[in-house]
Amino acid sequence: MINVKNLSFYRESRVVLDELDLQLAKGELVLLSGPNGVGKSTLVQLIGGVLKPTSGEITINGTDISKLKVKDQALLRSIAPQRRIFTLAYSVSEILHLLPEKRRSFNVDLIIESLGLVEIMASKVTELSIGQQQRVSLAIALIQEADFYLLDEPFSAQDEDSVLNLVALLVEIKKEKGVMVVSHKTGTHYSQFDREFKLT
Amino acid sequence: MKKLALYLSLLAVIVLLFIASLQIGIIHLQTPLWDLIGKHDGIDATTVWDVRFPRVFGAALLGAALGVAGVIAQGIFRNPLAEPTLIGLTSGATLGSIAVIATGAAAFGSRTNVESAVLFAGLAALLVQLLAPNKGLGFLITGIAISAILTALAGVMISISAKPGVQSLSFWNFGSLAMLNNQTLKIIAPFIELGFISAFMVSRKLDIYSLGENSSHYMGVKPKQIRLWAIISLALLIGPAVSAVGAIAFLGLLVPHIVRLLVGPSHRRALSFSALIGAIILMLADLASRTLFQPHEIPLGLLTSLIGAPALIILLRLRSAQWVSHD
Repeated sequence: MINVKNLSFYRESRVVLDELDLQLAKGELVLLSGPNGVGKSTLVQLIGGVLKPTSGEITINGTDISKLKVKDQALLRSIAPQRRIFTLAYSVSEILHLLPEKRRSFNVDLIIESLGLVEIMASKVTELSIGQQQRVSLAIALIQEADFYLLDEPFSAQDEDSVLNLVALLVEIKKEKGVMVVSHKTGTHYSQFDREFKLT
Repeated sequence: MKKLALYLSLLAVIVLLFIASLQIGIIHLQTPLWDLIGKHDGIDATTVWDVRFPRVFGAALLGAALGVAGVIAQGIFRNPLAEPTLIGLTSGATLGSIAVIATGAAAFGSRTNVESAVLFAGLAALLVQLLAPNKGLGFLITGIAISAILTALAGVMISISAKPGVQSLSFWNFGSLAMLNNQTLKIIAPFIELGFISAFMVSRKLDIYSLGENSSHYMGVKPKQIRLWAIISLALLIGPAVSAVGAIAFLGLLVPHIVRLLVGPSHRRALSFSALIGAIILMLADLASRTLFQPHEIPLGLLTSLIGAPALIILLRLRSAQWVSHD
């Protein structure tokens, strides 16, 4: 379980997050919603360990993440950032093999198919459309074996069909894992989510 | 398979170039090269083994080192223009080298000289990192500014030093293999070998790091650690090279671009190929520098600039130079 307890985060003395509590358990698909600028991505970065809380604590499976090495954090949770800028012209296939085999999810084939990457495996990531790049970015995060998956704005550049396929994939993944999707948009496709956490 | 064939062809080119470079020079050999193997007396044997061999072997070794350093530098700074010369390493190594010679602490080509170059190269790169306001343009401009300061300090030291081994500023800035001998090679080779090993160890992580600092952290690769590791590798590759032959321009910039066109962006693959391409280019350049205008010798760095800079412009104009611009 990811357990966020009494978490506050100040950026240059401005309060971004104030005494926040949040849980994500295995078997859950949770929507983290809220307007732009409310601190959703900040929360993702805090759980990801790239930002340090001003106060409060974040534990994953009972361990405070600030006490975990970077490589051990990566075994517990995987994160798709809001934006990934691809600077080098790897093929999609190459970029999905950056992690060693033993750290790849057993679901790889399903993930690649659900995200519509089968036809573009040999294409260079730098030459893909924004929507395709976003799906590659999501695939990178989802094939990293972990207990929890956090996806920051995964639908922002996707058409209706892609969103439906992705949601179906997340429903499959959450059977054994915990999944949290960050989005500022509302829509019917969230009907399959277990609950919504509103950040205000 | 195609890549293996390419790799083997490049190795064959190196062997041929090696033989040709031992054969060609101002002194025309009277004895066939084959008969000189194992011999150490006579003008021909001395010419081949004591004069030409260290140059040719040095060109191959240092070319490989500079090529590999270029791949690491571009990878770690995620910038296609991050050549060791532009980001302070080369001028740091120059200053480190000159400082110990000018103060009389060590002789040119000595181990202390090399160690000082390695140390200063690493410190200069760290200083640029520390002072740069961002990872993009600001980083490069900081690198250029720091390089200018360090080169100027080195120049001042040369001007006020009366030590004979200090060499001219032109030697340090434009590089030459003319001073290389077997003794110096024996001293710098272990440093460069360590640099190769460390570069290969860091290379796989550089692929993950190329996705960005946060992504890298999320995937279990600590950005700070990998940057430090890469800078140590760079210092081990650049420091000895500069301490022995001065700064050789454009090689570190050009080689990675050629290699990515040939074999794509994967850092581990790029490293193996950049070692070969770097060696070939420097061997060719050295052969040209000592034979084109016989009996005059052109500083090597001038040649690599004259060939490297136009080649780089052409490569950059090819869309397939494989980098997209940062925002």
